[in-house]
Amino acid sequence: MTSLHDTAPIAPMRVVGQRLPRVDAGERVTGRAIYPADLTRPGMITGLIKRSPHAHARIVKIDATKALALKGVIAVVTSADFPEIKPNTIIPFGETGADAWVSAVIVLARDRVLWRGQPVAAVAAVDAHVARAALDLIDVTYEPLPHVMSIAGAILAGAPLLSPDLKPKGFDTGTPIVRNAGSRTLIERGDTAAALQSSAVVGGVDAVIDTAHQGYIEPHACVAETDAGGFVTLWASSQGAFQTEIQTAVLLGLPQSKIKVIPLEIGGGFGGKITVHVEPIAARLAQISGRPVKIVMSREEMLTGGSGPAAAAQIDVRVGADAQGRITAIAGHYLLDTGGIPGTPTTLLMQASAACYQTPCLRLEGIDIMTNKPRTEAYRGPGGIQAAFAMEQAIDEVALKLNIDPLELRRRNAAVTGSLMPVGTPFPSIGLTTILDRVAAHACWRDPIAPGSLPRGRGLALGYWRGTSMTSAAHVTISGDGRPMVTMGSVDISGTRTTMAQVAAEEFGLSIGDVHVASGDTKSAGYSDAAAGSRVGRTMAAAVSEACRDALAQLTRRAAEKLQTTVANVTYASGVFRSGAAAPASISLADLMRATLTDGAIVGRGVSTKLPFGVEIGAHVADVEADPETGQVTVLRYTAFQDVGRALNPVAVEGQIEGSVVQGLGWALTEGFDYAADGRLRNASLLDYRMPTALDVPPIECVLIETPVPGVPYGLRGVGEMPIVPPAATIANALRRALGVRLTHMPMTPERVLAAIKGANFGKASG
Amino acid sequence: MKSVITCEINGEPRDALADGRDTLLELLRDRLGLTGTKEGCGNGNCGACTVLMNGEPVCACLVLAGEAHGAKITTIEGIARGNTLHPVQSALIAHGGTQCGFCTPGIVLSAVALLDRNPHPSPHEIRHAIAGNLCRCTGYDKIVEAIAAVAHGTNIDVKPAP
Repeated sequence: MTSLHDTAPIAPMRVVGQRLPRVDAGERVTGRAIYPADLTRPGMITGLIKRSPHAHARIVKIDATKALALKGVIAVVTSADFPEIKPNTIIPFGETGADAWVSAVIVLARDRVLWRGQPVAAVAAVDAHVARAALDLIDVTYEPLPHVMSIAGAILAGAPLLSPDLKPKGFDTGTPIVRNAGSRTLIERGDTAAALQSSAVVGGVDAVIDTAHQGYIEPHACVAETDAGGFVTLWASSQGAFQTEIQTAVLLGLPQSKIKVIPLEIGGGFGGKITVHVEPIAARLAQISGRPVKIVMSREEMLTGGSGPAAAAQIDVRVGADAQGRITAIAGHYLLDTGGIPGTPTTLLMQASAACYQTPCLRLEGIDIMTNKPRTEAYRGPGGIQAAFAMEQAIDEVALKLNIDPLELRRRNAAVTGSLMPVGTPFPSIGLTTILDRVAAHACWRDPIAPGSLPRGRGLALGYWRGTSMTSAAHVTISGDGRPMVTMGSVDISGTRTTMAQVAAEEFGLSIGDVHVASGDTKSAGYSDAAAGSRVGRTMAAAVSEACRDALAQLTRRAAEKLQTTVANVTYASGVFRSGAAAPASISLADLMRATLTDGAIVGRGVSTKLPFGVEIGAHVADVEADPETGQVTVLRYTAFQDVGRALNPVAVEGQIEGSVVQGLGWALTEGFDYAADGRLRNASLLDYRMPTALDVPPIECVLIETPVPGVPYGLRGVGEMPIVPPAATIANALRRALGVRLTHMPMTPERVLAAIKGANFGKASG
Repeated sequence: MKSVITCEINGEPRDALADGRDTLLELLRDRLGLTGTKEGCGNGNCGACTVLMNGEPVCACLVLAGEAHGAKITTIEGIARGNTLHPVQSALIAHGGTQCGFCTPGIVLSAVALLDRNPHPSPHEIRHAIAGNLCRCTGYDKIVEAIAAVAHGTNIDVKPAP
């Protein structure tokens, strides 16, 4: 597999690397793209979900008698209609497997509700009006239990224990167990405490980050239907058709061979559409009613417990350095809010936050903490922005204390190819020093900040994300007119049909318009992992190019027969097979297929597993202005530098970076869940949960750097996750320079900016 | 209680039976099968359901179906002329101004309404006109560039494929 790509393909490439529009863009701009909410099936009925009004309670009894008696109500389900899934029901999923119990608790509460908005029952009715009336008629008796809504509260002695029977993992003998901990991860080398003690300076930041939401504009939706033989078909908007299939099958107690997931368009996911939410419920309602069932979540449901937000965090970082600005030690303590179910991983975000720097001593300790909030789910580089918010501010503090330029400080300590990663193994090819050189030479760093009447400042922060590889599969058939038809096992969340059409066109030497790429359903495509972890572009490119080469090998055998020569004598380029010089002859791919269509199908297969990682590194620079009277922060200029290995399609790459940065700016400045003491979410709408509008953000300038990854087709790196990592720290560092204060609570809302200014003034006044 | 709503949608006379609780969005999507208009929030905050009602952009989720009686409605399905795209649509394609596509129909309608009343908007005016349309994928740059290209009559053709 890897050897295929050890040598670079023909350069310069014709299609790969071009600025091309999305092949599916026409469907999108005309409203013809079909998402699950748009689908209607004959006889279809509407499903709605009843949710817990309590943050923590025992479910005493659910009585659906009155709901079932309402005319137009067809079925009601509760957890009693599903097999009980025990904790540690590990299913094949991602790098390490997943616990189907987590999905089961997210989909439907059994004996206990752990957050407001957790599903407790569902109804199917002839239309949404009847279904809504029926929800009110389902009688649920609760016995409320004490709840806790923050990390700070959950770790206190005496805080309610959310999982009294759970034995937290990773606490070795002698390490005190943190209350409500799920598990602990420690990454350590050298004597960090001693190194910090003897450092010339220590930069430290204690950061608090509020819960945020991925904010995809398309609410969760699906349509489920069963046939007479019990076979379930599910039309889904999901980041992984196969992952939706296995979770739904396990939760229903159905063999995986009895369910097919058809991926429709997905209106954004960003990590929040990997775990199933509505799919098993729709499927069970369809099984019971014998009718197709559609469930579409409302925005309020999504924000209040229907979908998993991104983790709140408490992160304390200390960075020590000598007088010359060489880092001597990095210590980080990461408490991550996992919500009502333990198990949100901390290891990747801890490593990411320290990955850009060489240090002799390192101690990173991460613990996930249970609270009565919805179970945390992934959000674009999960945990990366939270961790960088603390780490990159601490690095900035070191620069300030030593009076060293923050870019220069980072240059002195930058990780390089072969230096130790936080886990202790050498870095594969990375271009961080190249990035820093590009920042230094760029106008965004060299130009003085444009003058203004309000305080202004410039901030710099680095970002790192490892991403993953896992498995992708594709196959290529050749249509009767000679055009390659590619079927992928992955869904398309980031323009994958376009970039893979570029790869296939490159491999076949054809125009992008002459290849067709589609995401297959789970019974017609090969197993592929979810579209997550910045993995699909790279790994699907490997699978598609392998599938194309396999198809071409089969076609070449066929061409040799037609050209009456040996395979070794046949060459292929740009749609034409030619025999060797002795007896020149040729046949086009189209003519070959016309002549041999009925001789048997050409099916080229490609599978990519465990491709080398395409680690993502970047640096962001921002100029901001802050109004000391109102606390309002305006981002004036923003530049994002990123090593993308090779830009498969620069339009798509820039689109990923710009979108990712703006999501980061949203969490940095305005996005945060505001929980009341009783567990209610006070800003459960897109008016009050404030995502950036076009007026809130400046143009984002992207600077692409290309340091190819060896052993990966075209040297591709992941792109989409890293750019959300630095923005909050970049803005915080800029505000430190504009206002002279550290903003350590994210989002950095006007109230918090004002409080920081007042706190600093108060501090001065009182000496 | 249901009643018949008669209105003109994309230049065609339409009748539909609507529940008194139906919104214009439900009328379009559920009763008339015009699913190009999307629901992102249901309370006027995201702009995904933007349509033109008597020429003005409105959130279809905030209009009751009954209020549409007698109105002229333009939805995303009525923006292209057959297979000929509106320049705003072509420009969004050419500039990479659509990613997941869920906000795109609303963006198109807001942009068309803007250019109808102000053919040469500044970048700030463009951002102002789409400020009611949340997009979570693009960061807005390529959308603003696309609309600006239409306003300045430049570079709206889709680049020919190699």
